[in-house]
Amino acid sequence: MDGKRQHHSSFQQLEKLGEGTYATVSHAALISVFKGRNRQTGEFVALKEIHLDSEEGTPSTAIREISLMKELKHENIVALHDVIHTENKLMLVFEYMDGDLKKYMDNNGERGMLKPHIVKSFMWQLLQGIHFCHENRVLHRDLKPQNLLINNKLQLKLGDFGLARAFGIPVNTFSNEVVTLWYRAPDVLLGSRTYNTSIDIWSAGCIMAEMFSGRPLFPGTTNEDQTIRIFRIMGTPTERTWPGLSQFPEYKANWQMYATQPLRNILPQIDEKGIDLLQRMLQLRPELRISAAEALNHEWFAEFHQPAHPQQHHPQQPMMHPHRGYQQHTVPSQNVYGNYQG
Amino acid sequence: MASTTYHSSADETFFVEDEAAQRMTMRDAGRMIARNKQEMIANELSRLAHDEYLEDIMKHMRHMEDETLPDANLIDMQREIQWFMRPYLIDFLIEAHAAFSLLPETLFLTVNLLDRYCSKRVVYKQHYQLVGCAALLIAAKYGDKKDRVPQINELNNMCCGLYDAGMFTQMEMHVLNTLDWNIGHPTVDFFTQLIVAEERDGREVEHMAAYICEIALYHRDFVSTKPSIMARASLALARAILSKPEVNDGEWDHTENVTLLTLSQHLHQPSVTLARKYSSAYYSKVSGKLADFLAQQAAISRRGPPSPPVEPTSLSTKTADIYSTPHKGLGAGPGVADGYMTPPITPDGNCFGHNQAMIKGYQAPPRCPVTPTPQPNHVQPYPQQQQQQQPQPQHMAGTSYFEGPTSHMAY
Repeated sequence: MDGKRQHHSSFQQLEKLGEGTYATVSHAALISVFKGRNRQTGEFVALKEIHLDSEEGTPSTAIREISLMKELKHENIVALHDVIHTENKLMLVFEYMDGDLKKYMDNNGERGMLKPHIVKSFMWQLLQGIHFCHENRVLHRDLKPQNLLINNKLQLKLGDFGLARAFGIPVNTFSNEVVTLWYRAPDVLLGSRTYNTSIDIWSAGCIMAEMFSGRPLFPGTTNEDQTIRIFRIMGTPTERTWPGLSQFPEYKANWQMYATQPLRNILPQIDEKGIDLLQRMLQLRPELRISAAEALNHEWFAEFHQPAHPQQHHPQQPMMHPHRGYQQHTVPSQNVYGNYQG
Repeated sequence: MASTTYHSSADETFFVEDEAAQRMTMRDAGRMIARNKQEMIANELSRLAHDEYLEDIMKHMRHMEDETLPDANLIDMQREIQWFMRPYLIDFLIEAHAAFSLLPETLFLTVNLLDRYCSKRVVYKQHYQLVGCAALLIAAKYGDKKDRVPQINELNNMCCGLYDAGMFTQMEMHVLNTLDWNIGHPTVDFFTQLIVAEERDGREVEHMAAYICEIALYHRDFVSTKPSIMARASLALARAILSKPEVNDGEWDHTENVTLLTLSQHLHQPSVTLARKYSSAYYSKVSGKLADFLAQQAAISRRGPPSPPVEPTSLSTKTADIYSTPHKGLGAGPGVADGYMTPPITPDGNCFGHNQAMIKGYQAPPRCPVTPTPQPNHVQPYPQQQQQQQPQPQHMAGTSYFEGPTSHMAY
């Protein structure tokens, strides 16, 4: 998007990476993703092809994804290089990423489980990406391992902003048909339409647990089943533990009552500080859920909190992963990281 | 003054009041309690997001606001479309926006997209409405729920079949490409909501401010006004009209003061369509209240000052001569009628339309939709009146559309 109009023939199409659909009003728009190569620079790219329906025009998902991603330039968010429009197709040119977190866990994990330091690095990058979205008033609304892209430098980037939306303050009313079921926050499951940034944090918590254990934390099959699976571990809320609960559209007076399970029993792989952070991300009540900025400030990430001085190199610092992002971001947002400067 | 007109014709159109809603059943009461509780939770969430992110978000919004401001001076250079046509199109968009029950911000985004497009591309008269529809389509897709997004055939019906169905999608893509897909314009109500929450303004003030902001959509003077300034000025004006106490919201700079003053001069004879929309109880009947207020002010100024001439109140009476429907050349120098440079033209054919007289000198574009020649018996979308003194703009093509079963207004 640097003003130069690219033509679709500027890219050589290589293998297909995936296929999917954009749900539109009346039908689903076909999308396919290819690996491509820029003929001029030789650089690899991901090409997302969206077939345009003559009756609906450009899908709303494409309009949101493109316009929001153009505003979100960050090292933990997949870069959108260009949009190429041909007669009946729209082609989005993204930076190339080697795979997604799901595949990474399948291929590199031990029965899906990732090593603690990898999980920490991925969580740090995931929360950086989420924080950047939120401070630019964007909700991602579909965080899940398949939408987190990983390259061979072990950088993690948020992708697929097809469900993303700009939000206002005070919060607006949104659709509650968002987020893949397993990663959907309880308040959304209960029918809330006034959710907020906390919706992405819940997903991030589920993803953290999944990276440690190799299995989805709440693999529900229906809305109801999903809700019960959450309650079985987090405990069934009551009007006393969650004022206003009974006013949610999906509230049931006859929910089976479960006691809260200590997360450390379910996820023994996680150290104490990690459990504390996870606990704060998986709060049933959205207003009690930790924010991305606070999460980045959590002491589980203490090793990333060293004063970032470009010259100073701390041997233990960002481990083996190139977190260009965090150094750049420690400096300007002093209010967020300031207390770790000393 | 015109207040009677607003109410007399209210029944025949879309903006209908729902008197039956007065009687509240037990179920409604229960629902209301639920709504209030939910609202409290939402408020709490807002407060949290506010504390955490407001500063960053504001920085981003100010940046986006500058990036997405239309340029009225460039629109002046349009050869065919003229400012006097604007009220007709805005009326049409306001009715369409209401008919589809779109979010309030969608209307402002629509007009922003329209104006930004018109700041960049030559638009022919017969495509002005098409650009408006494409802008509405994009704005709805950006912000509204999927099932609220207008279908193209519905839009087409509203335009009385003036265009081919395919033209809507082509124009939509053309607008998106022209604006480089930068759709995230912070609309005036983003800022209004913030201030209202901050100052604890009531619903009535909020509705009055919204009404004023929508009145402003009709006028060239506000095309290039920043939404953040518009929000502040319209709320201050709304409070004054409703005799609410002023709030202490810090310094006002010159631009904000000018905007406030200019707004106060454009309140007379608002569009009938718009006044009708805001005459409903849902909007606290603010159009009637504004008309009453203006009538009162006029009466005071007619009576004349008893003793030493009083400084006219800020909103009082710079009225008749200043009120004008926007017309071309307001703020432009002499030589309006002819001799303007045309705005840049896309190489790949932005000049829609095959009216040979018009594209003389331009390359016929490869992918441009063909305008069907309007049938002689078609409603002329823009009657050629240079000045419309009566605030009674004919509807654009398609008034009859609104007579169908109308959905309940649910903003």
